[in-house]
Amino acid sequence: MCLYRHMTSRVARAKTTADAFNAIAEPHRREILTLLKTQERAVADIAEAMGMNQPAVSKHLRVLRQVGLVYVQPVGKQRRYGLDARGLEPVHTWTRGFSQYWNESFDRLNAHVRGMEGEEG
Amino acid sequence: MPEHALSDRELAISRLIEGSRDTVFAAFTEVRHLSQWWGPTGFTTTTSTFEFSEGGVWEFMMHAPDGTDYPNWIKWIEIRPPELIVLRHGERSDDPEQFTTSIEFEERPDGTEVTLRTEFQTKALRDKAIEHFGALEAGGETLRSLAEYVATGPRRKDRF
Repeated sequence: MCLYRHMTSRVARAKTTADAFNAIAEPHRREILTLLKTQERAVADIAEAMGMNQPAVSKHLRVLRQVGLVYVQPVGKQRRYGLDARGLEPVHTWTRGFSQYWNESFDRLNAHVRGMEGEEG
Repeated sequence: MPEHALSDRELAISRLIEGSRDTVFAAFTEVRHLSQWWGPTGFTTTTSTFEFSEGGVWEFMMHAPDGTDYPNWIKWIEIRPPELIVLRHGERSDDPEQFTTSIEFEERPDGTEVTLRTEFQTKALRDKAIEHFGALEAGGETLRSLAEYVATGPRRKDRF
């Protein structure tokens, strides 16, 4: 977190009440995103694939739309939902600080360990 | 993907290190090793306190390539050579945003797999961390310019 500040570029301030982090913390919502990854789907379709009732799925979709992870598109009488991966940007930005910190540390660790083993051998 | 990998309170990263488990573990136990590798590219560390034992503390300053200093405080909670290290990590001993990190060492045919997991105390703390991003310095820019300098400029002899 704070320790990774210097590794992270500027992002828009996330809402405290509803953000992508909150949204994907819920397993059902992650499942919905996975379903939408490959194709747009109607609520009924999602509900059937997940074995959930439609009102419950609609509730999750509303949260996902609020944080910009899902878009909705009218197709005829239907409303079809799709994944808007741009909504995941805050998550990527945040994890990039952490992963960059450790990937680069591990690069250096690997080089150092090879040196240590060289000395022993 | 394991469920916990996407938990809102945890982050994890794994890497295969080319060395025996004893050697890799040893690289975490002494300042003369840690100072050679801890921190991202271009960063250096200066240690003020170091005692590698359960309950012991490592206090050090991280120096960014742009000259900014970042205080670090680490307390070892559990040490199980050569398999596991659990530590608390923050900026200071009284940093309310400290978090717990576990580091696992597993033997593999071609080296040692190191898995680092960081768990936050609460989701609220994580959310607070996210808000900090609104007022960040451009650390990424610094690293990019350093990489360009190293690639195109004279070779730095004082890198680590």
